[in-house]
Amino acid sequence: MSFCNGNRPSVRRAAALNSAKSALFGAVLVAAGAALAASASAESTLVRGMGPTIGTLDPQLNFLANEGWIQDDMYEGLTAQDASGNIIPGAADKWELSDDGLTYTFHLRDGLKWSNGDPLVAQDFVNGVVRTVDPATASDKAYIFCSTIAVTGVCDFTAKKTSDPTKLGISAPDAKTVVVKLDKPAPYALIYFGSYYGAPLHKPSFDKFGAAFIKPENIVSNGAYHMAENVPQSHVTLVKNPNFWDAANVKIDKVVYQITEDNKTAVKLFKSGQLDVGVDIPADDVLNLQKEFGDEMHVTPYLETDYFSFNIKVPPFDNINIRKALSTALDRDTFINKVIKGGYVVNCGYVVPLPDYKGARVPECDMDQATRIKTAKALLAQGMKEANIKKLSFTIESSNDDTQKKIAETAALMWKKALGVDVKVNAQERDAWLDAFNGGKWQVFNDDLVGDFAGPETFLAYIDPRGGVYGWESKEYEDLWDKAMLAADKQQRYALLAQAEKVFLDQYTSTPLDAAPSRDLVSKKISGWVDNVGASHPTRFMTISGN
Amino acid sequence: MFRYVTYRTLKSLPTLLALAVITFFMMRVAPGGPFSSNRRVPKEVRLNIENAYHLHDPIWEQFWRWFWGVLHFDFGPSFKYRDYTVSELIAHGFPTSLEVGLWAMFISTVLGLILGIAGALRRNGPIDYTAGAIAMVGLAIPIYVIGPIGQIVLGLHLQWLPIAGWDGTWPYKVMPILTLSLPNIAYVSRLMRGSMIETVRTNYVRTARAKGIGERKTILKHAMKGAIMPVVAYLGPATAITVTGSIVVETIFGIPGIGRYFVDGAISRDYPLVMGVTVLYGAIIILANLLTDIVRGILDPKVSYE
Repeated sequence: MSFCNGNRPSVRRAAALNSAKSALFGAVLVAAGAALAASASAESTLVRGMGPTIGTLDPQLNFLANEGWIQDDMYEGLTAQDASGNIIPGAADKWELSDDGLTYTFHLRDGLKWSNGDPLVAQDFVNGVVRTVDPATASDKAYIFCSTIAVTGVCDFTAKKTSDPTKLGISAPDAKTVVVKLDKPAPYALIYFGSYYGAPLHKPSFDKFGAAFIKPENIVSNGAYHMAENVPQSHVTLVKNPNFWDAANVKIDKVVYQITEDNKTAVKLFKSGQLDVGVDIPADDVLNLQKEFGDEMHVTPYLETDYFSFNIKVPPFDNINIRKALSTALDRDTFINKVIKGGYVVNCGYVVPLPDYKGARVPECDMDQATRIKTAKALLAQGMKEANIKKLSFTIESSNDDTQKKIAETAALMWKKALGVDVKVNAQERDAWLDAFNGGKWQVFNDDLVGDFAGPETFLAYIDPRGGVYGWESKEYEDLWDKAMLAADKQQRYALLAQAEKVFLDQYTSTPLDAAPSRDLVSKKISGWVDNVGASHPTRFMTISGN
Repeated sequence: MFRYVTYRTLKSLPTLLALAVITFFMMRVAPGGPFSSNRRVPKEVRLNIENAYHLHDPIWEQFWRWFWGVLHFDFGPSFKYRDYTVSELIAHGFPTSLEVGLWAMFISTVLGLILGIAGALRRNGPIDYTAGAIAMVGLAIPIYVIGPIGQIVLGLHLQWLPIAGWDGTWPYKVMPILTLSLPNIAYVSRLMRGSMIETVRTNYVRTARAKGIGERKTILKHAMKGAIMPVVAYLGPATAITVTGSIVVETIFGIPGIGRYFVDGAISRDYPLVMGVTVLYGAIIILANLLTDIVRGILDPKVSYE
């Protein structure tokens, strides 16, 4: 593990200087010096903080963002993402999409190999998807291929209506070609053939070791790195894979993903030089860290949107004017400037702000607060009259995450102050919070969503009425979505999706609030880290100086 | 003695079973489940996951499956850490928690006893006040404050020690051990001081002094045996708590122990993990209490093994 940092004072040097000064720590420091000297080597090492501990590194099972970062280094899908998060050729150097938008044909590069030298063939990618959707694997990711991009036959396979994987819409007609057939067009599907969802499976090692094929001593991968060590609750070490097709351009020899459960500790580790990259930096510390570290403190728009949802199946929230009044009374600027600082931005649409998507906005975002309150009061009076109620009181269900709790409590105060309504906040554990939502026993839900990729489709697919998440119905939304999926180009598709987003916002089933940023400390020793909204930072594109 | 140990061990089995049953059913009453998600996962996919872990089997069947596994030293798969079984997680993390915890208890006991005895024998003097101040700090400042202060002072400013992380070498152990020790030093020293003050006033100590036995021998050989009893009673459960890992210390210092599993497991509804660490904790508490009683029997002739 890299332990020193060229820019900041290193612990190693300081240990040597100070060891004579302290009788208490003398013996300890001698041991420290020896251990650290032994760890010194010429290879370049990047130490990346990764936040909370990981659940699994099984490529067909893992489902957390930080598991994905490791997976992106260890595996390569048919497609890949560059340092800016753009889709680029991965194991497939080219592909075609049929005119009806339903069939993708991927062509693999020549001479691809697994980390153990075995040839990497098209069937390995098919095997990866088949294992993901196999009911026996019990993977959350199966839903991606069933509902998000609707690969033919997958839903029947996961529902155990068929058990024949050859009936699935993914096949390898020859060693270098993968054909994927979809039930409906999904022009955004390429991201799902990248490493996180579409990692190949090295079947010989899986057949031999079963679920233990992912252990460092057994693993065979095809990415720029392969795993050398996995210490639960501590770190994962990856080393460069010499059999990766682009190994000559991979500059960093070793990557240590360090678990940094406590994000305050992550900051201290970065300051001391024990970490080259610190992630999920506490929002409250961002301003100070920007002063202290300047460009090393990266605050970047991200794919997380925070919003309130109203249970339109439960009175009085079946009344649109009441929903609209509550949405209108919110002072979103106060949330961002006074309550949740650290790079959060006001979000007026359901989709987070994206570079090339001009989405719909709730109209109250463009009013001043006095107008908002006046309008909200009128709407509430009208809504209460229609709902035949004299007093409005309700509960916001929130998770007990600090920021989410703060958001819910602030909204409760705002609504109480502006509209005189009686609002309680029920902050609970994440599982209990989700249980309340899934059980339908809620009035107002302090909601959030993290998109899969930097496109509006990932957000708007979630609220599609056919998915039934919020119990709303809109033929207009469905038609706009379907039309968008058949649009000739991205510009046209995004225009149609913006219209669909407006249909959703007009219903006030949910009201947007803010978009959360990613907050990372990135050492200036690192080149090739490019801030991007998808927070995609594959190590293979980075270089590190000074170690 | 052998009969006593066997009797106590057998007697502890129903206690462990009761602990397991209560924990198992309490976990199931908690809202949410291990695979709750706000993603729009189709019902069939969700069912496949839950069925893979037998979550729709009758609850007694689930308990029996778990119990049968435990009889074969298999605590089942972890729902959250899916690359590992619970037994693997415990086998990996427990030695680390045990090592840190035992060192912390060793330091706490030695320093606590020294400070306690010194304070008792030099009452209201500088040593007593110093020992009292250390105890006050240990008791009043929680470890989630002491730990980060240590990181800032020893790690960032003085740069004597790494701030966090773990590679099993001493530099990484020092701060967590000291942080974990401090509250126990405080407790042990206060208990020892109070007990020693009482003991040195007893007739048998007075008799020992009257016989002309030197002060050091009187204290260490005669008074100590009686005075240490409250400390021994405290050390049993304290050791069990400390060696099973502290979530605060392990989180702050990034130690790969099992302390975090208690809370992580409960929050993520990882039923097998919670069961595994609870049974382990229960077994260690029982063992620690047994050892405490044995030591008390050795020190105090009035205690009988019958």
